Amino acid sequence: MNNLWILNMGFAALLIGTGIYCLLTMKNVVKLLIGLEIIAKGVTLALVASGYARNNLLLAQSLAITVIVVDVAVIATALAIIININRHTKSLDVGKLTRLKG
Amino acid sequence: MIFLFIIIPLLLAGLLPLLGKVSKRFLPDLLASATMLFLLVFSVLYARPLIANGGVIQQAFWFGSPLNIRLLLDGFSLFMLFTISLVSFAVTLYSINYMEHYGAKANYYALLLVMIAGMNGLVLSSDLFNIYLFLEVAAVASYALVAFGLGQDALEASFKYLMLSAVASAAILLSIAVIFGLTGGLSFGTVASGLKMLNIKYVVGFCSGLFLMGFGLKAAIVPFHFWLPDAHPSAPAPISAMLSGVLIKVSGVYAMMRIFLNVFGLTPGLTTVLTALGIASIFVGALAALGQNDIKRMLAYSSISQIGYVVLAFGIGTPLGIIGGLFHLFNHALFKSLLFLNAGAVEQSTGTRSLDKMGGLAKRMPLTAATSAVGSLAIAGVPPLNGFWSKLLIIIALVQAKMYVLAFLAVLGSVITLWYYLVLQHQAFFGKLNENWKAVKEAPFWMSAATILLALLCIVTGLVFPMVIHSWLQPAQNVLSSGIGMALNFIGF
Amino acid sequence: MHLFLMIGLVAFSILAVLNRDLLKSAICLAVASVFLALIFFQMNAVYAGVFEVSVVAGLITVLFITAIALTRGDQPVVESKRHLFIFPLFFLILIVLDILVMKKLLGRIPAIAGSETGTFGEVLWNQRTFDLVGQIGVIFAGVLGVLALFRQGDTPHKGSTPQEGTHE
Repeated sequence: MNNLWILNMGFAALLIGTGIYCLLTMKNVVKLLIGLEIIAKGVTLALVASGYARNNLLLAQSLAITVIVVDVAVIATALAIIININRHTKSLDVGKLTRLKG
Repeated sequence: MIFLFIIIPLLLAGLLPLLGKVSKRFLPDLLASATMLFLLVFSVLYARPLIANGGVIQQAFWFGSPLNIRLLLDGFSLFMLFTISLVSFAVTLYSINYMEHYGAKANYYALLLVMIAGMNGLVLSSDLFNIYLFLEVAAVASYALVAFGLGQDALEASFKYLMLSAVASAAILLSIAVIFGLTGGLSFGTVASGLKMLNIKYVVGFCSGLFLMGFGLKAAIVPFHFWLPDAHPSAPAPISAMLSGVLIKVSGVYAMMRIFLNVFGLTPGLTTVLTALGIASIFVGALAALGQNDIKRMLAYSSISQIGYVVLAFGIGTPLGIIGGLFHLFNHALFKSLLFLNAGAVEQSTGTRSLDKMGGLAKRMPLTAATSAVGSLAIAGVPPLNGFWSKLLIIIALVQAKMYVLAFLAVLGSVITLWYYLVLQHQAFFGKLNENWKAVKEAPFWMSAATILLALLCIVTGLVFPMVIHSWLQPAQNVLSSGIGMALNFIGF
Repeated sequence: MHLFLMIGLVAFSILAVLNRDLLKSAICLAVASVFLALIFFQMNAVYAGVFEVSVVAGLITVLFITAIALTRGDQPVVESKRHLFIFPLFFLILIVLDILVMKKLLGRIPAIAGSETGTFGEVLWNQRTFDLVGQIGVIFAGVLGVLALFRQGDTPHKGSTPQEGTHE
């Protein structure tokens, strides 16, 4: 049972790695959000897999549902900000967001 | 019942948009301020006696029937509740005047209340997942609040803040998932006992690393501090005060310390990492603040520096170090919000944040200049104001722990802090009155009231600090020093 | 079967990242969500699966497509093709590291038997009631935030003058 847990976590790690690659290298702002969403999927998978390994699926599912709700709120707020930015700069390029110095 | 700390702000937040249609300004102002005052008084009068005998787990009730919510109130949580309520009250008063030209005041107050409810919930949870959840509540509210002005700077800052903060939250959640897989439980007690029984150092180290990364980003510690200098200046001034004054402390420092000290236990490795990050933050923040022209950006870098002191103090782990860290946390909440509110008043009156455009404002805005002077002197550590005592405690703790080099560096950091705050005061308020500002007016009533309140508290805390330490900080320090024991006591409630 | 679903999930996520058209990316993301939901069903986590399909593959995809439609401008930002070459390299390294770590952990994690009590409804409503308060909180935060960001009629506050000569 535990080896299955490790396998699941390994796949979750792959997902998270893919998401991190997306965040680090993509120029389109909406793509960055997609990367964030992929990371969220990886973490949800990790959560449910942990519950499966501990035979505590009901608890894991409530947690996963809560995480998905939080994710929706974050993505909705982020998209609202992006749409507003687009009104100002008329583009979705991350490179254009350099008015503030790092 | 302490559940009120969470449910009252939340309920009011739900009602405010509706009430806002009826009364655009008066009713939201009144209700928000009254709520904050109530919570503040409530925390002192009702909650303080509850913990007289150590921590308490209280069950929440809803109209008589018991809900299955168990809230943990101990010295550390109470201390944070008090700090949050104090700063929130001042900020709410300040917002009465400041948010006039932003519009949508009811919406603003509602978001602010949700953020406060989130922070209160975080502080009262007894469960790892609840910490994550309420962290997110406060964070999502803060994303919208930072972008509230809808200017391009604010939107850009909010977006960067959102992306970094969301990655940090993912790291925290991943760590929680791994811990859940290892121990099968989520509450402090179950996790603490589970981790003690297992013996996989690397995985626990991995989880600690993830927590450090996640909470470190929320607390803006080096090397995760990049979002702070952009987010804080572009946000409306009361929000900058809330973010710098409480949010980075609650979602960053409180959560990190609660987990590291009470659930994982403070290992020598953690001490090394925390003290290293603390010292690095002190210097990166202080040196970057020296060259800043934008007043709020300088304050933002200063926040990074002062939080470095807090993390350094907690990292030492000795009781004196913990008391120093707690005291500095409280003081910083007071004077940093005071300074940000004043910067907002200056920005509103003169329309600029550039220090070299200001000059001699003390003649036209005496109240603001005076309270700002109190804040600057306090944060720089001038006796007998509160900052001096907390920094002294931290340095003594460092010396006692035989970390002489760090103690010397901490004193050096304090000197640099004094330097740039003197620069700030001189450039903005003293000196010759710049021609452009001949006609500026003093800050409006509520804004001044809020800043005077905070300044008075700085002075009073400095004068009566032994009493403050004994009645507020000592219980918190007891909780933290008892390490894992505290969590183990609460298993199976 | 489990393995096939996992590989499908990772494959479609990669497609979502590498795809150069935003709309197709969003759809790949939705398909990946469906795969994840199937994985949940297979693990007998029925409620999580249903939620995943309806919320992530449904609501979030709709949000993405709405945002993409609203920001359709004359300057579409298209990623360069070199990602098609860099990413496989990165992914290979990731897989190798992953397998190494997994091998090290095999058999080292002791099994702690968990307990399963009650029905799902009981767990969600009774045991995790505090989570529900939190969920209400995030929903408020999200709704109020979107309302605040899209408000009309009040002039937005002009940001301060951009800083000249800010040192770094």
